[in-house]
Amino acid sequence: MLRRSAEECLALADAVLAAVPHGEAEVLVTEDDLALTRFARNIVHQNVADTGLSLRLRLVAGGRVGVAELHGGAADAIERLVGNAEEARRLAPAQDDLAPLPEPGGGDGDGPCGWSDATAAATPERRAEGVGTVIAAAAARGLEAFGALSTRSTRRAVVNSRGLRRHGQVTAASLSAVVRGEDGAGYADRHAVDVDDLHPAAVAAEVVETAERNQGARPAEPGEYEVVLAPYAVQEMVAYLSYIGFSALAVQEHRSFMRRGERLMSPEVGIRDDAADPLARPFPFDFEGVSTRRVTFVEQGVCRDVVYDTPTAIRDGVASTGHALPQPNTIGPWATHLVMDPGTTPVPELVAGVRRGLYVTRLWYVRVVHPLRTVITGMTREGTFLIEDGRLGAPVRDLRFTQSIVEALSRVRGISDERRLELGEDGSAVLVPWVRLESFRFTS
Amino acid sequence: MRDVAERALDEAVVAGASYADCRVVVRTVQTVEVKNGRVARVALHDDEGVGVRVVVDGAWGFAGLDRIDARGAEEAARRAVRIARAGSRLRSAPVRLAPLTPATGEYHTPVGVDPFTVSLERKIEVLLAADAAMARVPAVTVRDGSLEFVRERRLFASSEGARLEQTIVESGGGMDATATSDDEVQTRSHPNSFGRHQLCAGWEAIEEMALPEHAERIAGEAAALLTADPCPAGRMTLILDGTQAALQVHESCGHPTELDRVLGDEAAFAGTSFLVPDLLGSFRYGSEAVTIVADATAPRGLGTFGWDDEGVPAERTVLVDRGLFTGYMSSRETAAVFDRQSSGTMRADGWSRLPLIRMTNVNLEPGESSLEEMIATTEHGVYLETNRSWSIDDRRLNFQFGCQNGWEIRDGRRVRLVRNPLYRGITPEFWRSCDAVAGPDEWRMWGVINCGKGEPMQSMHVGHGAAPCRFRDVQVGPA
Repeated sequence: MLRRSAEECLALADAVLAAVPHGEAEVLVTEDDLALTRFARNIVHQNVADTGLSLRLRLVAGGRVGVAELHGGAADAIERLVGNAEEARRLAPAQDDLAPLPEPGGGDGDGPCGWSDATAAATPERRAEGVGTVIAAAAARGLEAFGALSTRSTRRAVVNSRGLRRHGQVTAASLSAVVRGEDGAGYADRHAVDVDDLHPAAVAAEVVETAERNQGARPAEPGEYEVVLAPYAVQEMVAYLSYIGFSALAVQEHRSFMRRGERLMSPEVGIRDDAADPLARPFPFDFEGVSTRRVTFVEQGVCRDVVYDTPTAIRDGVASTGHALPQPNTIGPWATHLVMDPGTTPVPELVAGVRRGLYVTRLWYVRVVHPLRTVITGMTREGTFLIEDGRLGAPVRDLRFTQSIVEALSRVRGISDERRLELGEDGSAVLVPWVRLESFRFTS
Repeated sequence: MRDVAERALDEAVVAGASYADCRVVVRTVQTVEVKNGRVARVALHDDEGVGVRVVVDGAWGFAGLDRIDARGAEEAARRAVRIARAGSRLRSAPVRLAPLTPATGEYHTPVGVDPFTVSLERKIEVLLAADAAMARVPAVTVRDGSLEFVRERRLFASSEGARLEQTIVESGGGMDATATSDDEVQTRSHPNSFGRHQLCAGWEAIEEMALPEHAERIAGEAAALLTADPCPAGRMTLILDGTQAALQVHESCGHPTELDRVLGDEAAFAGTSFLVPDLLGSFRYGSEAVTIVADATAPRGLGTFGWDDEGVPAERTVLVDRGLFTGYMSSRETAAVFDRQSSGTMRADGWSRLPLIRMTNVNLEPGESSLEEMIATTEHGVYLETNRSWSIDDRRLNFQFGCQNGWEIRDGRRVRLVRNPLYRGITPEFWRSCDAVAGPDEWRMWGVINCGKGEPMQSMHVGHGAAPCRFRDVQVGPA
């Protein structure tokens, strides 16, 4: 359980600010409580929890900036934080073009927060109950279950010496499961703000069905296949597009594929960042305390905008979109609520339209091969099936793919009307549908 | 620290733990980053707390709390006990640990110059000098450099009687030059990619990197790569530099010899392993040229320590002996499954995380060749430097790596620079095709600072000793 209310986090941030002797300052206070019950071979094998307070101070004076961070609840935390930040600031070279701290804007607490009291109060017994549902379903079919059920709650406050004061709170609950038989496995997951929305029985049913279908897979020839990608796989593609090119810094440094106004993808494709979408774990402001605006990256297949923080916004003469990571940093702005538009096709019809192709449940160990061409590589995992004459057929062994994401999304043949909330590697929300693509390149 | 640990152990035992251990960790990290001629960040990060691990009713529980005092220790212990109890009904057999004689003692990373005594001005000076040298190449549009220094004090205490205090010091640094054109982005790094190279060592490690001296070279190489020919495609001889050999060892030997993966503990996330126990002692993993060890005693590696996070002394385990698969990295719990002793590889990412089996320093032992000899005796192939992308399946068999820089070799000579090189293969086939490893003169300890594993995700610093090595008949091509 978190020990401090959002208001108490704000008061702590105010106390740090008050202890700063001179210059401008920004204080970020984060309190986080994470608990996770992990299971393997139908038993709980790891069961953990941790609670921690993080304080971060950015101190600016005389053209010099220093940062101090403290993860821990020491009694002398404020004194140490201020002392360390001042030491770093004093020794840093003076610069005449430092990005200013943001001015207050928007109201405190505006925009929704994805918060659930049930998640924040979830007990180890509650997590064991959810895990037990998956284990029982697997065991009943003579299979073995592996996975994790986690609950997390986070409170964040940002204040600065220009009068900006923001606080918010967010929760997350996740259940992921792999079920293995003698010669194959299946995968399913659910992520939600509210632990009550995880529905372990539904996860169990899905993962057991996939595992039983995915026994005795045979090799498939590498090559170009028409594919239907499940949301677990689409998440990887959308998250990597963001990583490669949805940031203003990537555009400014000529590392991004984004060419504003050009149609690079099929007209059905729409991708945006929407921190207010109730389905995408909403949170109203960034690490500078700037309100997070909705940003459309791709609209009807055409490249539109990118996300900004204060430094990149100044460079382009625009306003920050509220996508800053803790400043200063060399990474640039970051989209944390990726949303892909749904289509109109029911999931079964996506598969029904394919004469010969592959259904891919999940992608694994995805990495960027060429950023400008958005080429990624990775493996399929835990559920790759032939589609023959519109029906899901025999399982095939995992394949390596090497594929341009933009190229794949320029040949969309259908998008489902249903979406799932997934989480990227960095924990960002990614709300995505099933997608049918004309061609996807498997290389080995 | 010791009082806090004692309090946690007492509380855990009173609350019903049949085994308990406690780690009190205080970590300080100093980071300096320079980008495009500006000091982008000077930061000091302190991280401190206590982690308590217990066995109650035959089940594990763990809780971390961010306060180092008696109250925090008690609270963490009580929470760990409750968590263990909640999970015990979903456990068919009780946790069993391999026996261990509890130790007491201290360990300090040997350092020449304590990096925290070196002035910040000097650190900034090194990075700005490197940046200025990279800036001499006009095609380079993005220049990054960073230094990081870590000091971690940790106390381990167990209900069996272990009392161990360690101070680990790390020094790391690196730089990237990125050149761009309308249709190409090319980055060259030194000494390694993905941020920096790091060692358990003092400031002398940074001096050895000679960042300013290498800066203009990598900038020029990044610029040249913009217009270089694409890497040739086909099956050919492949020579890897030491940094890429280190990552190849990491992904295709380090991870599959982690015994928790083999037993399925990571099946839902990091994956399993093709190196199942039936293969131990009989499976030909690689050629006679390939010997790989997990060695927590190797000087300067990021996996070098006195004891692991279960209190097991640092050890050297031969994983692959002249091509034969011979060993695993293990914990007390996983070793007990085979009635063996732990190999001492349990490591936690700070106080807030549970120890897991992690690589220590997984080293490819030096051979007798040299890079120049390998090139001179290659009819047609490529020599690849510095990792750019890496991917491998969940059993650690099917891999594909990309590198920053490539040289085509014809008739024993480097004939042209090539861009966007990739190679792929299947782990045992690949290592069986290794016919040469360079000798001790070219063998270096490298650091990997972003090894991810576990849920919640833990990022570990691990070491890899490696030298340039050669492989025959490998599938190579352009990205």
